[in-house]
Amino acid sequence: MADYDRRQGGGGGYNNRKRRYRDDDDRDHRGPRRRYDAPPHVRIRKQLLSIAENPMRSWHEEVQSIANLFTDNWDDELLRSNFVDLLLQITVEQPLKIPFLAAVLLVANTNKSEIIDLLLAKLVSNVEAKIGEGEWRDVKLYLKLLACLQSCLEGEGVFPVLEELFDRAVDLQTASSEDTIGTELVKIILLTLPYVMVAAPDQWQQKAADLMEKTEIIASEPHTLQALIEPYHPERVEEGAPPTTSLIGLLQNQLQNEANNGWILSCLPRPWEFPVGEIEVQSKLSNPTKHPLPPISIPQTVVAGPRPLFPEVYFSVYADQDVESVPPVTNAAASLIRDALLDTINILDYNRNITARHLIEVDCFFAPRTFAARATPFDRLRDIEPPKSTWKPEDVAVDAVFSQLFQLPNPEHKLVYYHAVLTEACKLAPAAIAPSLGRAIRYLYRNIHRLDLELTDRFTDWFSHHLSNFGFTWKWTEWVDDVFLPDLHPCKAFIAGAIDKEIRLSFAQRIKNTLPEPYQALISPEKEKDVPDFKFKDPQTPFAAEGEEIAGLLKRKAADEEIQPIIERIHALALDNNLDPLVASTDVFVTCVLHVGSKSLSHVLAAIERTKDRLTDAGATSDAARAQIISSVMSYWSSHPGVAICIVEKLLNYSILTPACVINWALVSYAGRTKGDALGKMHVYELVFNTVIKVTGRVRQVVQKTNQPDAEVGNEMADAEVTAMRGLFKDMEDALVSWASGSKDEIMEVGEGEGGAGSEHERLVRRWGERWLRVFRRRAAIEETFLQEAAKEKKAVAAGVTAAGGATAGEAIAVDPAVDPTGEAVVDDVL
Amino acid sequence: MPIRSTVERLDRPSAYYTSRRRRPDNHRDGEEDTNMQPEQTEDPLKDATTIYVGNLSFYTTEEQVYELFSKCGEIKRLVMGLDRITKTPCGFCFVEYYTHQDALDCMKYIGGTKLDERIIRTDLDPEFEEGRQYGRGKSGGQVRDEYREDYDEGRGGLGRAIRSERLIEAERRDHNDGEYGRLR
Repeated sequence: MADYDRRQGGGGGYNNRKRRYRDDDDRDHRGPRRRYDAPPHVRIRKQLLSIAENPMRSWHEEVQSIANLFTDNWDDELLRSNFVDLLLQITVEQPLKIPFLAAVLLVANTNKSEIIDLLLAKLVSNVEAKIGEGEWRDVKLYLKLLACLQSCLEGEGVFPVLEELFDRAVDLQTASSEDTIGTELVKIILLTLPYVMVAAPDQWQQKAADLMEKTEIIASEPHTLQALIEPYHPERVEEGAPPTTSLIGLLQNQLQNEANNGWILSCLPRPWEFPVGEIEVQSKLSNPTKHPLPPISIPQTVVAGPRPLFPEVYFSVYADQDVESVPPVTNAAASLIRDALLDTINILDYNRNITARHLIEVDCFFAPRTFAARATPFDRLRDIEPPKSTWKPEDVAVDAVFSQLFQLPNPEHKLVYYHAVLTEACKLAPAAIAPSLGRAIRYLYRNIHRLDLELTDRFTDWFSHHLSNFGFTWKWTEWVDDVFLPDLHPCKAFIAGAIDKEIRLSFAQRIKNTLPEPYQALISPEKEKDVPDFKFKDPQTPFAAEGEEIAGLLKRKAADEEIQPIIERIHALALDNNLDPLVASTDVFVTCVLHVGSKSLSHVLAAIERTKDRLTDAGATSDAARAQIISSVMSYWSSHPGVAICIVEKLLNYSILTPACVINWALVSYAGRTKGDALGKMHVYELVFNTVIKVTGRVRQVVQKTNQPDAEVGNEMADAEVTAMRGLFKDMEDALVSWASGSKDEIMEVGEGEGGAGSEHERLVRRWGERWLRVFRRRAAIEETFLQEAAKEKKAVAAGVTAAGGATAGEAIAVDPAVDPTGEAVVDDVL
Repeated sequence: MPIRSTVERLDRPSAYYTSRRRRPDNHRDGEEDTNMQPEQTEDPLKDATTIYVGNLSFYTTEEQVYELFSKCGEIKRLVMGLDRITKTPCGFCFVEYYTHQDALDCMKYIGGTKLDERIIRTDLDPEFEEGRQYGRGKSGGQVRDEYREDYDEGRGGLGRAIRSERLIEAERRDHNDGEYGRLR
């Protein structure tokens, strides 16, 4: 069986070129062969897996052919049980196909009705297992299949299950206003309902109305964390509160609209409706054998599962267009199509090629005429006469990926996955996808002043990474006027940040060649040098002689004793010149280490490794000296901030620097020195953000370890880590509040008209302060949520209750080298 | 054994790795072959944190590799592949992460995408060992660069063996051509 499947499942891999080649050989060159029909189970598998993928085949033919092939071979017991397993597996792995699988079952039911009982038995036990694990997406997908089978279920079919889920949701919501599981359950109910309504039309209006009356209360109540995860962060002067985009709130309203219009739900496919010519099958389908749905037991306490649940917002990059290229937020299609696409995207992260293909072929899986023709240029949508659809399948697909890329606090997978999906989609259908991406980029750029800063950073990162996959081509000319904006302007900051990241993935000269002339001034000649100048080469630089000497000693790997006298000479010289001796010697020494290691990151890491004792001592002497280490790194590599950030990260791993020190350097010293300009530099944000993620990742790891029954990590250690993290957030809050409120000394000191109080510069700096503040307040809130959940879980473990899963770390956490026994950079201390 | 997915996974080792693993078994003596019991050896890639990266340009730097591969997690160690003789980069490297998951994600999200405008290849790797950073080709680089017939600017033009063959040929022609020289 494996050989057959591999062939048709292939095309996704990029590693199997050789194998495919050999397969072709087998087929092509062995002369005439007797026609060989694969055994039924193989054919069924093949057809089921590709169901609805071919737009040239009509759904009813495909559905009927599979159903008949199956019922014709009913006596094959293995086939029977494999069939059920496979259907359920496709349900949770390729959710766009669920209605079509249901149609196969409904047709099979007209011939061998036992199949439905076989399926229901397995489905029910799977649902129960998934509820137990808190795998709510799988629960939703099984229920979706069940909903599509509503017409062949006895009694009220799937409704009792939905009602019981709702009861749980009510319990949870009354118990805590911060509950997210209840909200998730209501979301599942609302997303299942439309499928019931199209599977068994005109029967359940009253039931649906009753249920929706109940869900209204929960769906319309904004969650406490809602405000922090909104993607936009409007300036205070702008129009009042932005309209809420709570996903569940929108969904409730959309379904209310549908209910008022008799549940037309025109976007959903109905592959169980056969054309007029197939009257015989259709009449059988209209009077199906009914089956009792075995009871699904839902435990009294339900769990959040392995992924932390947060309220969700509906995000679209095509919201403000004059022609609707995506469903409007008032239409249920917006939520239903988005939901199916998001599940597809997030489930299939292990094969981005298939994800991209499903995205591009999205129109195959929804009702005909839901979308405009593929690759219709945006400008031509205007010419489409109503009632024909103007929804561009490419826009709908791309929008779904962007909604993940811009999901706060984090999407399910690493951000780079969503980059890769967009890259693949663009490779598969460049003419169709690239213009959609272009409009998305322009929308984001236009809104960058109000986009959350964390999302601005994600945008920059995706944009540069995407361009690096497509020859760095972008129509930069359209933003050319913005090059002359002040550096603190959000658009200018984006341009600078994006160009820097492009250079990091490539090199300065290459990027320069892709940019129109005015932009080229943004790439300084220093950026084109592989190795920065060594400032002590210039005899005018203070301590030039000492610098040259230390560099010489480091180069020939001299013993530390030889370095010490020179350091002492620097101290003496500094004192004579009224300079801080420790700061002076630290600058000289660190700069020399960087210079000796300037050839590559390996070189600098080796140089740090050799001198780590002296570096640690230097950092330990005074706060000023420790801050100087960062200043020296950032200044030596100022033209290549990516390298600087990388080195600081390694210095943190060696405990030569502390997180507090990095944050203080960025938000107080450096930001102060630059009168707030530092806050508008994307690489400074990146440095701070990475440092915070390192700390929070570490805390999560330690806290989870103490939660294990046989915890080796003591509570004291975890408490200390947590306290340190809270202290860090507190420091950031203090520093950022004063930037955001304009009370920072550096702003006050400067006179009016030259960047002081009341000036445009001050307004911009304060705005950056606000944007920073929001990001790190959110991070702090999320970590507190995590700690609360962990405490609950711990209590549960202590009480002997085996809590399955529990809302724990959902984001990617790098194991800290400090706890890695095999790591080269093993250090005892934290971070 | 987990049920095979309905969609092929990209985080599996490549055919290259699996074939190299299998080879020693195939070449065993008949005596051992009669032992039909499949060896239940531990999968060396079960917890692999290292990724082999291939098809890099000779000019791609460590910093570029860091920039791209950090998107899947913090990098613990990076070892650039070097020409055994010249000690210059020869188009591959090993990226070591702190976790197995990061390595798998790297296979899924970075393998087959571009770095420095070349499609790069990734493969799960049991572990970097000293010596493996050097090319195993006859002339110091990677084997694949010996007989490559296409001209690849990022990897030193034509295959080296082909180049030297052509050089020798050209030289021979030069010598034999003596009397027809004016025709050239």
